[in-house]
Amino acid sequence: MRVLLMGHPNVGKSVFFNRLTGANVVESNYPGTTVDYTKGYMRQFGEDIEVIDVPGTFSLEPKDKAEEVAANMLHDSKGAKIICVVDASKVERGLYLALEIIEEGFPAVIALNMWDAAVDKNIQIDAAGLEQIGFGTLKLTHLEDKRQPKIDPPDRDLW
Amino acid sequence: MQKKLNEMGYDEEGVVVKIDEDLKQKIAGVGIRAGKKIKMITKEPLKGPVVVMVDEAKTSLGLSVADKIIMEV
Repeated sequence: MRVLLMGHPNVGKSVFFNRLTGANVVESNYPGTTVDYTKGYMRQFGEDIEVIDVPGTFSLEPKDKAEEVAANMLHDSKGAKIICVVDASKVERGLYLALEIIEEGFPAVIALNMWDAAVDKNIQIDAAGLEQIGFGTLKLTHLEDKRQPKIDPPDRDLW
Repeated sequence: MQKKLNEMGYDEEGVVVKIDEDLKQKIAGVGIRAGKKIKMITKEPLKGPVVVMVDEAKTSLGLSVADKIIMEV
């Protein structure tokens, strides 16, 4: 099984990738750190899963080289499952790309990263509503903690 | 009063009224659509890009893009 980590620049895809696979790709608090993809593996649900850290993109209509890598990566990955990483404190922005991805027919789960920041800002996210649109949701906090986060999509049928 | 996005002053806020049809899809990804509140942060010199605040995130737009977004201020 192949899983692509997709999302806007600077939402924490590479941090999440490192935590999932135990890899050590460069993380920074600047957009555009990842300009090419990185592949790693994790073991979950009793199988080896290929995880790909895709460069950040705002949409599937590429405007630069890194976005082109992201769009091509998706189009070349028929049958892959997508984890769309979204900054939970700016959730509306991230949903456009997530919708584009499900419109292309890929099963997608939304990883609401920086969940703690959203709670601090008193932002409430209707996870049940997102699930009605066709997304599973994962709430991620404290990825600075180096342990592997628990991946437990609420709707296993998606996977 | 209506004006183009690139005509807005520093720190001026406005609401998007109209976006050029060819552009709508292109900038939807950064969260700009009709009805969105936008604040002007910086205009770079020499016909450089403008930096605006949308949903608490800074986004830069080329001058030719900002020229095709009509704002109500």
